[in-house]
Amino acid sequence: MPVVELNLSRLQKLVGKNVNKKQILDSLPFLGLDIESLEGNIVRVEYSPNRPDYSTDFGIALGLQGILGISKGMLRLDIRKQGNYEIKVDSSTSKIRPFVTGIIARNGSLDNESVKQIINMQEDLHFGLGRKRKKSSIGIHDLDSVFFPLKYSTTSRDHRFIPLNSTKESSISEILQNSEVGSDYGSILGQSAKVPIIIDSKGQTISFPPIINAALTTVTTKTKNILVEVTGIDKQSAEDMLSVVVTILQGAGFQFSQLKVSGSKNSTPNFAPRSIVVDADPVNKILGLNISGSMLLSCLKKCRLDATMKGKKIQCIIPRYRFDIFGGMDIVEEVALGYGIDNLKPAWPASVHIGEKNMTSEKLDSISRLMTGFGFMETLNSTLTSKQILYQMSNRDSSQIISVTSSKSQEHTILRDSILPELLENLSKNIHETYPQKFFESGIVFSKGSPIKETTNLACVTASEETNFSEMKAVLQSLLRIGFNIECETKTLSKHALFSQGRVAEIIVNKKIVGYIGELDSKVLENFRIRTRVVAFELKLSGLIFD
Amino acid sequence: MQPVLHDIEKQIIKVLQSDPNLTEEKISQETKLSMDQIRRGVEWLRQKKLADVTETTNISLSLGKNGLDSLKNGLPERRLVTLVQSGPKTFDEIRSSLQGLDFNAAIANAKKNNWINIEKTETGSKISLKQEPIENSDEKIISLISEKNISSKEVASPESLKSLMERPDFIIQHEKKTKAVSLSGKGREIDLAQLDSGAIDVEADVPHVHAARIHPLKDVINEIRETFVHLGFTEILGNLSQSCFWNFDALFTPQDHPARELQDTFYLQGLNAKQLATSTQIKNVSSAHKKGWRYFWDIQEAKKMVLRTHTTCVTIKHLADKKPDEARIFSLGRVFRNEKLSFKHLAEFNQVEGVVVGKHITLRDLMGIQKEFYRKIGLTKVKFWPTFFPYTEPSLQSMVYNEKLGKWIELFGMGIFRPEVTKPLGITKPVLAWGGGIERIAMLKFGLDDVREFYNNNLSWLRTASKCQ
Repeated sequence: MPVVELNLSRLQKLVGKNVNKKQILDSLPFLGLDIESLEGNIVRVEYSPNRPDYSTDFGIALGLQGILGISKGMLRLDIRKQGNYEIKVDSSTSKIRPFVTGIIARNGSLDNESVKQIINMQEDLHFGLGRKRKKSSIGIHDLDSVFFPLKYSTTSRDHRFIPLNSTKESSISEILQNSEVGSDYGSILGQSAKVPIIIDSKGQTISFPPIINAALTTVTTKTKNILVEVTGIDKQSAEDMLSVVVTILQGAGFQFSQLKVSGSKNSTPNFAPRSIVVDADPVNKILGLNISGSMLLSCLKKCRLDATMKGKKIQCIIPRYRFDIFGGMDIVEEVALGYGIDNLKPAWPASVHIGEKNMTSEKLDSISRLMTGFGFMETLNSTLTSKQILYQMSNRDSSQIISVTSSKSQEHTILRDSILPELLENLSKNIHETYPQKFFESGIVFSKGSPIKETTNLACVTASEETNFSEMKAVLQSLLRIGFNIECETKTLSKHALFSQGRVAEIIVNKKIVGYIGELDSKVLENFRIRTRVVAFELKLSGLIFD
Repeated sequence: MQPVLHDIEKQIIKVLQSDPNLTEEKISQETKLSMDQIRRGVEWLRQKKLADVTETTNISLSLGKNGLDSLKNGLPERRLVTLVQSGPKTFDEIRSSLQGLDFNAAIANAKKNNWINIEKTETGSKISLKQEPIENSDEKIISLISEKNISSKEVASPESLKSLMERPDFIIQHEKKTKAVSLSGKGREIDLAQLDSGAIDVEADVPHVHAARIHPLKDVINEIRETFVHLGFTEILGNLSQSCFWNFDALFTPQDHPARELQDTFYLQGLNAKQLATSTQIKNVSSAHKKGWRYFWDIQEAKKMVLRTHTTCVTIKHLADKKPDEARIFSLGRVFRNEKLSFKHLAEFNQVEGVVVGKHITLRDLMGIQKEFYRKIGLTKVKFWPTFFPYTEPSLQSMVYNEKLGKWIELFGMGIFRPEVTKPLGITKPVLAWGGGIERIAMLKFGLDDVREFYNNNLSWLRTASKCQ
């Protein structure tokens, strides 16, 4: 989950009404914010990816004001229609990044900490909602260096401008090739000859979305008026993103003017809240509460929503930035949060249910009990293992190998088709411990089939100087007889990669081969650096004692 | 007063009283006790000052490759004199049957033994017999050792042995340490017949015995499974390999969601599901995605096979297929995440998840069930915090207080399945789910701070880990 770093004193000021730090720290978890660390005045909290408004202290302050009862109900956005701010969209963008939207924010002031918080928000939005800038991305500019109307269009890759954090002109190709953002995000534009560009009425380049802004519009702590533009491949997601930015900037004290957007299926963004109507009864029912209509409304207002009762229904007004709210169940959650999760008391439901273990678990338990009775220690290994253990050291045929893609760990790259090699690995890791060593493991093994087959196997090894084939066969036969009333025979097998010739047999039950038993081949033992005699069997349990 | 003795000690004393100085091996043969028992018994006797132990090193000898060759064909110098018995020979004539190092050694030793003369003539040096070569002490040693392994004490002429040892690969020396055990004065005086009152040393140290046992993590898994059953839940099983459809799509996780990327999830190389779901299920899930997330839902993406990232895929398929009005079910087993391994992360671990389906079930009920679950496994201080899970709403996480660590620890999560998940699959009753990783609980129980220990299969830990915490 993403993390935001907060300055407690600043947060205290933003929340207001003389709220103390302890109240803040105690309340954070009940907004769903996990305190990751607290050092002096600095607290780091984890927030949910569905709440990008919590990526800044402005958004968190808004939540805290609600839950602490300082300021309740929906935050109203005041967006004036005055001014001649406009962006026109050229239809050539439709093939590469069709949508743009934005806002004018004026008369604010940004100190260092505010800039830090807003950058954190921008990164969060780019990563989550923007799907690493592919779906949508934000540019924030100094309004006073821009001349309207703007044009959102496309240009060729040799178009030149001075990019952010630079003093010299570069071509778009150069930016894509030589800069970090270019190599990180350039692939979004693919091989397209034309790339998106925002140009002002004087022909100055403002932004090359979704890669980089121009140096011309750099925002500093002296900036009072800003232009925010969001471009993307999905109109709604771009407007979702913009609504979070506007909400946060309002918290930072900005006033807004509309940015008119027109051309090629684009339109001026709409920040109007939505309305959801839900029945009040089911909300109480699913939470196990019985609270009055006015209490329900109060809970919702504490979550910075507006709500009114319409008969037995709640009409809930959802601000534009709360696009995480899909429907009725989300309203239920808001009620629970407003009510306070710590006020929800655990209850005990009357139950007529009789629990039951699965038959397979039941039988595997019997096997574990019997095997430990025979003196075998249970091991647990991964079903996702390595080629080295499963095939190379075991000299086994790897033609039916099942791999996973891009594993971060070399030890976990292929699915096991047998447990025995891992038990040999376990013996190998324990050569300094006293003998005899006896291990068993039951678990899933995989084989190809349409598209993949999972069966449960049991494997078992004894390592000691004195052990021999008969000892293992005795264990195998007693296990099947005592546990499952099954008789098995062993039939000479001419060759098996793991076992030594002349000392290996197939395990046969009802004329069907169900496994192998034998003395381990000396070459295989050598590969695992085992210096003692080892006998083993592996038995397929699926189809034998359960389906 | 007669000391109290262990049966092993008595047996050792008995053989030593009739034969006062024996090696441990010999005692083992006589008493038919194992070497391990003898070593222990001797150590006890030594501590009670009833026996003395003297360690001696015995050197034994056997023939090396060249020695064995000489046993068969004679030493090189013997072969040389045999060649010149019929008359003097030139160096070249001799070299044709005695090569390399053998030649030099043969000349040098035959001269030392005073067996030959070397004369210089116009045709080169010639070797002739000086006197009848009788068997010397070197040859006697070779035939004495022969193919046996003899003690160095049996060799009569140490000088000859020394010179033979200097020659390469003629004689191999083996060192063997033996412990000779004898009784002390006090030990010799012990009257075993009188001792035979049946009393044994009940205070003597005993060795550790190792119990074969169920794996400690499996103990915890079994305890959790039993606890779910006690709470009225019935176990369901499902495959570890799943289609993306059941692992992600059916749970309303959009196809471009970061959790679905290769770096978080294990995809099975080149494998696609043949049979996904019923056509209604596919159609409804597809339109839920289109409506909720506004993108082109690709069935090919849903067909990709992954190692399940949670047991929820098993639960949801069960609910979609059976559509129960009332149910308590749970699913427990391995799940996979493409994680870098560390003290707190595994690529493969165990998860349990229970769901309650019912018309009248409430969030508070689920909190109660969970509290009872924790109480049954010995965790009594529990509280709940809101959190976020992609497919439940509302979502809570439970926090459990750990006395040892003195802090609250995040354990299982819980929540109500979103209607965006249940509706498309025709599930009409509320589904409340709860669950989480099992290793985390097991770590608390066994006091481990590295989760990898559970899968190291380290015998010394398996043999000694305490069963109950």
